[in-house]
Amino acid sequence: MARSMWRGAIQFGLVTIPVKLYLATEQGGIGFNLLHASCLNRIQMKVYCPYHDEVIPRSETVRGYEWSKGKYVVVTEEDIDSVPLQTMRAIEIEMFITAARDSGGTQFVKQAYYLEPEQIGAKAFYLLKSVLAEQGKSAICKIVLKDREQLAALNPFGNTMLLTTLHWPDEVRAIDELNLPEDQIEFKASEKKMAEQLVASMTGDFDADDYADDYRQALMAVIERKVAGEKPEPQERAEPTNITDLMAALEASVAAARTERKAAKAGPKAGPKADAKADAKADQAAAPRQRRRKTA
Amino acid sequence: MPGEQLDLPISTASVTERLPGRITPMQPAPGVAPFDDPAYLFEAWWPGIRAIAVVDGGRLVRLEAEGLADALTAFGELTEELPGQLMEDGVVLDGWLLALDEGGWLDTHLLRRRLGGDGRAGRPAFVASDLLWCGGVDWHRRTYASRRQRLEAVLLDGDRCVVSHALRGEGTLLAEALARFGLDALSARRLDARYRFGGSGEGWLRVPIAPAEHFERPRLALIQRLPFEETD
Repeated sequence: MARSMWRGAIQFGLVTIPVKLYLATEQGGIGFNLLHASCLNRIQMKVYCPYHDEVIPRSETVRGYEWSKGKYVVVTEEDIDSVPLQTMRAIEIEMFITAARDSGGTQFVKQAYYLEPEQIGAKAFYLLKSVLAEQGKSAICKIVLKDREQLAALNPFGNTMLLTTLHWPDEVRAIDELNLPEDQIEFKASEKKMAEQLVASMTGDFDADDYADDYRQALMAVIERKVAGEKPEPQERAEPTNITDLMAALEASVAAARTERKAAKAGPKAGPKADAKADAKADQAAAPRQRRRKTA
Repeated sequence: MPGEQLDLPISTASVTERLPGRITPMQPAPGVAPFDDPAYLFEAWWPGIRAIAVVDGGRLVRLEAEGLADALTAFGELTEELPGQLMEDGVVLDGWLLALDEGGWLDTHLLRRRLGGDGRAGRPAFVASDLLWCGGVDWHRRTYASRRQRLEAVLLDGDRCVVSHALRGEGTLLAEALARFGLDALSARRLDARYRFGGSGEGWLRVPIAPAEHFERPRLALIQRLPFEETD
C-alpha cells in the first residue's frame, strides 16, 4: 500500500476534515549515474571551500541568504522554526472559485497529490467533493509541505479529490516578455467556420492511456539489449523515397477505394464488361504519372 | 577544362516587369462534406504550408509562404530543382510546401522544424495545384480547367516538385482514399472558376473528411495552418 507523505486536515470555516496526502505522479524518465569513463566507478560530488582550499564535510555547512552582493546572513533551523505559520498541519481553504480554464494562475501547477479522508471525516470530505463537482467550483487553499508554504487548488477527481500545488504569482513570468501582436487579429466568418470544422473533426474524449512515452520505451529496449550483452542495432529505416512515390501511393489508395466500392456495389447484374471497364479505370488511376525530365 | 566556370548561353534577360508583386493567394470557402460533381476537380488538402513560387530568369526568385519571412532559405533545395523542372520561364505557381521523412511520408513535425530554421529537417517538397502566370503571361483570369492543363504541361514531375494528382468529379471516392492516408480534408476546385486573389466564392472549397479509424501512417499529425493575413 502506498505511503502517505503528509497528514493533516482540510479546514474551512468551522469544518475540519482529517486527510492524508499521496503523491499522484512519479518521474517517468530513465535515471542515469555519472561514472568515471576509465574505471566505470560512480563519481562522488565533494563539497569544496575555495577560501580554505579544502574539501569539507556537509555537516560544516550552514544556510546563508545573500542580502547584498557578497554579503550573507546565516539562517539557522531555529530561525526557520520561529516563523509563524497558520497552515502547519492544515489545508486551509481561502476561497472557492469557478473552475474555468482561465481562472487566474491556476494553470501554473507544480505537483499533484491525491487526498484520502480519515475515517472520521469521510462524510464531510465527500460532501465537500460533491458540492465542488455540482457547482463546478475549485477551492484555493494554502498548505505547508517540505517546510514551505504552498498555494494549491483542490478539485474533485474520480472517487477522491486532487490537490495541485501552484506557483506563487511572483514565480510566474509575465507574458509581456513575448513578442505578441498588439492589435486584435480579425478573422473572416469563413476562416472561423473552417477552424471550427477542423476542431470539430479532431474533437474526442482524452484518455491518457492512449498515449505512451515512445522515446523512453525505445531507450529502455536499447539498455536491455546492452544488459543482455547484445549490441544495439540501429533501427531499420525505410529506403528514402520522394514526393512522386507519395503521389503514386495516393493513386494506389484511390485505386483500392475504387475496387472496394466496386466490390460493394457489384451485384449479379454487373457483367464482365462493366468490371473490365472499372478495372481499366482503376489501373489508369493507380499508374503513377510518368516522370518526364527536361533534357539538357 | 574540368571544373571551370563557363558562361552558359542562357538568356539572363529578366521578365520581372511582367510578373506581379506580392500575391495575396486565393483562399478556399469551407465545404461541408465530400460530394461528386463533374464540374469540380478534387485533390488532397496537403498538410503543409500554402506557398506561391515565382520563377523568373531561370531562377526561383520568390517563395511566398504565409507567415514566413524567408521561405527560400528554409526550402533552399527547391531553388535549383523547381526551375529545372519547368518548361517555361516567367511562371507563378500556387501550391503547398511539405516536409517528408526518410520514408517519403508527410511529417508536419519536420515541417515545423524546417520553418523554424532547421534547414536539414526532413526532405522538402513542393506540390503545385495552380498556375497564375506562365511565360510571363497572366493566366489568372482563365478557367481553372485551362490553368490546370497548362500547369501539367509546364511542370515536369521531379524528386521534390510535382503537380498534385487530382480526380475529376469523384470527390467521395478521393475522400475515401485520403481518409486511408490519414488526411482530413480535400480540395474541390470548380473547373470553370478564375483565380480570385484573396477570395474564392464557391470556386474553391476545403472539404473536411471524417478520418478513417485505421489509416496507413498514424503518425501523420494533421495540424493545418489557417490563413491569417488575408486582405482583399
